[in-house]
Amino acid sequence: MTRDWWKHLILILGVIIVIAPFYMMVSYSFKSPGEIDRGEGGFFGRQELMVDEHCVKLRDPSRDEIAAAAPRFPGQSDRDIRDQIMAEAEADCAMRPVVFNYTKAFTEAPLLRYLLNGVLVTASIFLLQVVVALPAAYALAKLRFWGREAVFGLVLFCLLIPVHAIALPLYILLAKIGLTNTYAALVVPWSISVFGIFLMRQFFMTVPDDLIDAARMDGMGEFAIVWRVMLPTAIPALLAFAIFSVVAHWNDYFWPRIVVTGNRDLFTPPLGLREFKGGGDGSDFGPMMATATVIVTPLIVAFLLAQKRFIEGITLNGMK
Amino acid sequence: MAGLSIENVTKRFGETEVLKGVSLDIADGEFVSLVGPSGCGKSTLLRIIAGLEDQSSGDICIGGQSVAGQRAADRNLSMVFQSYALYPHLSVGENIAVPLRMRRLNSLQRLPLVGRLLPGARAQSRDIGQQVAQAAEMLEIAHLLDRKPGQLSGGQRQRVALGRALVREPAAFLLDEPLSNLDAKLRVQTRAEIAELHRRLAATFVYVTHDQVEAMTMSDRIAVMMGGRILQCAPPDVVYDDPDRIEVAEFIGSPKINILPVEIAEDGRLILMDRPLDLMLHRGGKGIASLGLRPEALRLAGPEAPIHGHVMHRENLGSELFVQIALTGLDQRLTLRVGPEQRGALALGSAVSLDFDRDKALLFDSAGARLRQVVQTASAPSEVA
Repeated sequence: MTRDWWKHLILILGVIIVIAPFYMMVSYSFKSPGEIDRGEGGFFGRQELMVDEHCVKLRDPSRDEIAAAAPRFPGQSDRDIRDQIMAEAEADCAMRPVVFNYTKAFTEAPLLRYLLNGVLVTASIFLLQVVVALPAAYALAKLRFWGREAVFGLVLFCLLIPVHAIALPLYILLAKIGLTNTYAALVVPWSISVFGIFLMRQFFMTVPDDLIDAARMDGMGEFAIVWRVMLPTAIPALLAFAIFSVVAHWNDYFWPRIVVTGNRDLFTPPLGLREFKGGGDGSDFGPMMATATVIVTPLIVAFLLAQKRFIEGITLNGMK
Repeated sequence: MAGLSIENVTKRFGETEVLKGVSLDIADGEFVSLVGPSGCGKSTLLRIIAGLEDQSSGDICIGGQSVAGQRAADRNLSMVFQSYALYPHLSVGENIAVPLRMRRLNSLQRLPLVGRLLPGARAQSRDIGQQVAQAAEMLEIAHLLDRKPGQLSGGQRQRVALGRALVREPAAFLLDEPLSNLDAKLRVQTRAEIAELHRRLAATFVYVTHDQVEAMTMSDRIAVMMGGRILQCAPPDVVYDDPDRIEVAEFIGSPKINILPVEIAEDGRLILMDRPLDLMLHRGGKGIASLGLRPEALRLAGPEAPIHGHVMHRENLGSELFVQIALTGLDQRLTLRVGPEQRGALALGSAVSLDFDRDKALLFDSAGARLRQVVQTASAPSEVA
């Protein structure tokens, strides 16, 4: 401990740097706009009642409404009636900042719909990636065929291509087939993951050949071997890959922003964040951070649940 | 059940020729061991029979039918692997059931959950369950059916692998060094069990091993392979007592056979270390040859005996004693096997004279081929003619 203090110091510094933005995000999602602007209130804010100006403004009564409300306030002038209605409105619109931020997150934009889109898109991407990567990785690891090394070389080469370099041609391609603004546009370009093929191939290399030969003797075809023998033994590696894939596509802002132009029903959670981008009267940081918190929570929960298997998968030991 | 025949099979991996024309007929119900040092091609031959590897030329017939081009799955053979190769994610019962499920159920019926509801699947599954239980009963692993392979000991895994092989009554069993991952004691026990299993099933067994003791104790016939060829294929006692080649004689038998250089005189008489022996080669002609003497063919004798030396090392096994003897006049050691009653006469360093049973002496020519036309003459002359 005494000798290793500097290691811990460095690690703690690293943790602080990583955690700080999350801390800000969660903290802002609790605070009122005033507290955020002034930078006060600690982590939770003071949680004093605040009035939602927007809510109050919406209830500013028109002349007809004042007339309709007149019986409730006998013998008062229109101005007094309006003042009283406004006072009621202010009382109704007063709420704790945390409630305000989170209700706003779910009401301002259809966040649930975005979350559902996110689940649909990431799940489809992951499933397709597995369907492609497992047979490919099996062939590259265990089958002997002419040009195998060259194909594997191509896989490695494709790992080096940054997404952004091919985004434009891909977009043009999708636009020409008329697939922009569809789920397909969000999913199809990611259905082949060279990283997935590479990762699973490395894992399959550790599976003993005897196991595959035994499966052949038992009457399995090559595809049966992939799904009935390789898939179950590869669960830890697959979980590791799942985390990479799901995190990347759940958090992806770049690609959905390109192919989803206008149709808000297709927005993924990160696109939803844009709804709170400041207009004329500044940004709604509270609700924005509340939305961000809601978006990252599923990933953090999933990671905590799968943590042990995830680390197993990274260390890549299939058969002991 | 069926016989196998291997017809002139060769196998080349790139430039290296692993099998150089192997032919072997295995009768229905026979237990044949392929034995040889590592790298002799015996495992490759087994994999070619299984269909896991393609031969470069030649043909394999199972039950009289050529299986050229047939997938391993369609050859109706089962195989036990050295590493057992059990499916780690399936329980013991499920492991044993796999070959039956793959053959009896169609792909829809094999689907999880849904498959069970399809017509016929339930009856088939019950049937399979019964056969698995039977196989488990036979191998005494019925109490392990619900465990995962990871929770079993080596011996138990080995039984599960056997169970998976025998559950579906294949045309033949192929066993690839199934005992080499077991400890010595268990190996001896399992050896007997496999031999017994063979008798009970009356099935064709092809057994690959590098351990000549396994081959000797279990097989009906032993095929000794070396350098991609079968040197001799015969019953164990023939291979041991009457080997065709010096390599076979050297490989089979433990401790190893003693090989002594001998000269063949003009008239065919054998000369060992300048002493003529009372052995004649029918076919005359000067030359050199090798005399093979098994440790039990040697015996202690008086000073007139042809071999002299002194004791260098003793290995006492209780029931017998192996003694290494350094020969006088020859930079070589002999191994002698004696019974426990002679222990006293063989102190370290003591001088001994050895004689050997003439009818157990094996003579090989300089190329290693056996010379069988050796006869015993009345007595050795006192001087070299």
